[in-house]
Amino acid sequence: MSDLRVLYVAHNHPTLHPGGAEAYSLELYEAMRRQPGVEPVLLARIGSNVARRRVAHPGTPFGSVNDDPNQYFVFTETDHFDFFTLTSRDKSLYSRHLTDFLLAQRPDVVHLQHTHFIGVDLLSQIRRVLPDAAIVYTLHEFLPICNHHGQMVRTFADELCPEASPRRCNECFPEISPQSFFLRERFVKGHFASVDRFLAPSAQLMDKYLRWGIGPQRIEVEEYGRLMPDRRAGDPAQAKSPANIGFFGQLSHFKGAEVMMEAMAMVDPGVDAHLWLNGANLELQTEEFQEEFARLQEGLRGRVTFRGPYEHAELPKLMEDLHWALIPSIWWENSPLVIQEAFFHRRPIICSDIGGMAEKVRDGVDGLHFRGGDPVSLARTIERATTNPRLWRSLREGIEDPYPMDAHVSKLLGLYEETIEQRKGVAVSA
Amino acid sequence: MPDAVKAKNGARRRSGRAEEQATRLSPDVDLVVDAGAVELRKSRTAGEPDGSLKALLREELAALDADRRNEISAELGASPLVGEHPSLPLSGSLYEIREVLRERLPACAVDARQPVGLAIEQILAIDERSFWVSGWMHDEDGEGAVTLVSPEGVRVEVTKGALRFERPDVVQFYATLRGTTRNHGFTAFFELPAPSLLTDGWIAELQTSEGVAVEIRCPAVVVDPLAIRATILGELGNRGPVGGELAAEHGRHALTRLQERIVADSEVESVDLYGELPSEPVASIVIPLYKRLDFIEHQFLQFSTDPDFAGVELVYVLDSVEQKDELAAKARELFALYGLPFKVVNLTAGAGFAGANRHGIEASTAPQLLLLNSDVIPDRPGWLTAMREFYEGQEGIGALGPKLLYEDDSLQHAGLYFHRAPGAELWENAHCFKGLHRAFPAANVARPVPAVTAACMLIDRERYEEAGGLPLHYVQGDYEDSELCLRLSKAGYENWYLPQVELYHLEGQSYVADTRRIPSEYNMWLHSEIWGRRIEELMAEFDPFEEGDPIE
Repeated sequence: MSDLRVLYVAHNHPTLHPGGAEAYSLELYEAMRRQPGVEPVLLARIGSNVARRRVAHPGTPFGSVNDDPNQYFVFTETDHFDFFTLTSRDKSLYSRHLTDFLLAQRPDVVHLQHTHFIGVDLLSQIRRVLPDAAIVYTLHEFLPICNHHGQMVRTFADELCPEASPRRCNECFPEISPQSFFLRERFVKGHFASVDRFLAPSAQLMDKYLRWGIGPQRIEVEEYGRLMPDRRAGDPAQAKSPANIGFFGQLSHFKGAEVMMEAMAMVDPGVDAHLWLNGANLELQTEEFQEEFARLQEGLRGRVTFRGPYEHAELPKLMEDLHWALIPSIWWENSPLVIQEAFFHRRPIICSDIGGMAEKVRDGVDGLHFRGGDPVSLARTIERATTNPRLWRSLREGIEDPYPMDAHVSKLLGLYEETIEQRKGVAVSA
Repeated sequence: MPDAVKAKNGARRRSGRAEEQATRLSPDVDLVVDAGAVELRKSRTAGEPDGSLKALLREELAALDADRRNEISAELGASPLVGEHPSLPLSGSLYEIREVLRERLPACAVDARQPVGLAIEQILAIDERSFWVSGWMHDEDGEGAVTLVSPEGVRVEVTKGALRFERPDVVQFYATLRGTTRNHGFTAFFELPAPSLLTDGWIAELQTSEGVAVEIRCPAVVVDPLAIRATILGELGNRGPVGGELAAEHGRHALTRLQERIVADSEVESVDLYGELPSEPVASIVIPLYKRLDFIEHQFLQFSTDPDFAGVELVYVLDSVEQKDELAAKARELFALYGLPFKVVNLTAGAGFAGANRHGIEASTAPQLLLLNSDVIPDRPGWLTAMREFYEGQEGIGALGPKLLYEDDSLQHAGLYFHRAPGAELWENAHCFKGLHRAFPAANVARPVPAVTAACMLIDRERYEEAGGLPLHYVQGDYEDSELCLRLSKAGYENWYLPQVELYHLEGQSYVADTRRIPSEYNMWLHSEIWGRRIEELMAEFDPFEEGDPIE
């Protein structure tokens, strides 16, 4: 029997843009490459917002990433992407170039990690070009549902949004008509109709897509599998109190940057608590945000240390001094990878009591919840956490190992086979 | 008045017979008048025009009616002798004849209140006999005929067969007059029976269906080929799709002639030899150079360490002629360093990609030709022998193209095919597996393909010549190689792709600019116009995505 050919489509390549979904896409590709009988191909989007200059060759958007003949870039102009309708204005990207790519590669399965900057049109074009191929789509956020950066947070007052509708979306964007939101939804769902199976890394994310209208028979929860580093971070030096808290990720509004800074300012001066910021992309945030952040940082010199951006491989080292990981996001999140990473290194987590965080971190078992978006609640939680070594030790005991990549890979391979079989049924009955 | 006309003086001569009168028009041609019959005759004696022309015309022909006088001037201008002995003095004399004989019409003044208007905006000299005219005319019913009169007297009705189109500016100008036509504009390619050499002196006449006749003087004829090419392409772009009626009826004829003229204007100025080339080379490598001379050094480094080059005749052709001295200096330095023998063909004027290749091929001698671009750099030695051996082992092969790579090891060339978007009429050239990795299995199968690129193409010289070589009619072309391959395929040969041989092709991105849009569209149209049928047959048989057994 010939190898199972699986094409992974990602909206970025981790060598160009560090990010959770990107890192996971490459890890999954590499894990699949080690599987006998599987030939994975990775197609990662590249464009002017991540590359310094146009890198495509004349006449084709495709190019190699490195020596690996199965990794490709596809160049798309950022300007050509319609962020509202999630489609490329250059339709020859689908009708010509991606079609040629699909015809040349002939994958049995196309597993999309994202369609951002490429466009949802790819989904129905895959179906047209390769009627037998199984199409699997992992959902990482709410971009298909929500025009507000896919966060499902209202544009006013940071209110969490449980559900989209043309009327509600128009409330968030008064300048965009309900009719436009209706068309957006119809367009995205029209292309989503070609997908055989959606995967949601968290149940709360799946719930929102179910409510949006993806049929329950087409979607299921499948957590990210992770390749974990060779070693776990050592234990922090024995001190009087578990005082060191680490934040990892983008310093942005939705990630709760202001909430955690305000909370640190409220922590009782007698409590020994210190926040270590391992964050990137501050320079990409709005000027207002950067000023606000600088202002908050100013009064917190003794309490907060900014360690700057980090490489994924440095994580064990960075975790070494820390007792806690903090995830103060004010949006739902999906399944934050930092949870798995912190748990692998046996660090309990302090997080907002909403969405994927509340789902993946068990309050009082392997972490502590605080009221999402509320700096007072976070300050009190930090005080409780950092002054209570026994609590810290008991939460550590409650941590379980994250979902391993091997299990994830077997699960996916089973799912691919099953979907291919289902498609044969479709082809026969049609 | 042209200088050639002013230069004449002297007295009229009587010829041998009493009734027949003759006068010298140019060193080669006489005018002979005999009982009202007028003709040009080859001069039997040496001599210069003697100034007796005007008097002769007045005495012998002035009494004829206007139509007959116009006819005589036109017949003289169209005489085969003008084609056999074209010269400025002859054209000057013919102009003088036209001016004496021609019945002048009332001058047309362009006025928004006048019912008749005429303008010639440009006359372009494609070559000595063929022209391109654009202008507009206004009359009551749009049925009027515009006739151009060449300085030599030849009359051509250009509105017959011209492309007519709406000119919003003219419609606006005559808005107060009622008229039935909106298609004031006209553009036409036309040919004369004999050369016209004078740039000044063209007349345009408008004859309306109601019997009104007026004339205007035309602007001087444009002769610079590159300016003409740009103008014609611009007009093609402005009148609907580039491959529309204007291209089919006029543009194609004009541009084909123009391309031929551009190449004909370019001659070999000198051939510089560096070192001693093999006396009986097995292959000639012909490399046109245009602007970028920095690649040569990289080619030399690779060529000089490749034993195959002992039997090779290496020929560079400089198409950007202004770089002659720069190239000569570089050539001396590189020869001193690498000791690799080669020759450089210098041209008098740029000939374009196909033209430069033609010059290079004529200056070469081997029985096999390897056409190569200057930005193609071999991956490893031995490539030429591998190509030649494959070529010789393949019965009925036409052109052979190897695998070409981009700098990131993705495929630039693995054979050419033709692509037509669903619903589109025109075929465009497409590259098999472009952008995929050099190790992509399906691209590692040697197979017959519809065409291969001329960036690196091996072909037997006889077959190249049998197929007529690279065509000249594409504008700053991209389709020369595919047309050559289509000609080969029509003659029964098969073109092959060979993946075992790998070279890098650092294909530039600069020219993708918008200025290339119209020429590219025109070329694509012309290519489809000529080869559409053949391409359809070939593509019915060819699957660009076919998977075969990859080479080991």
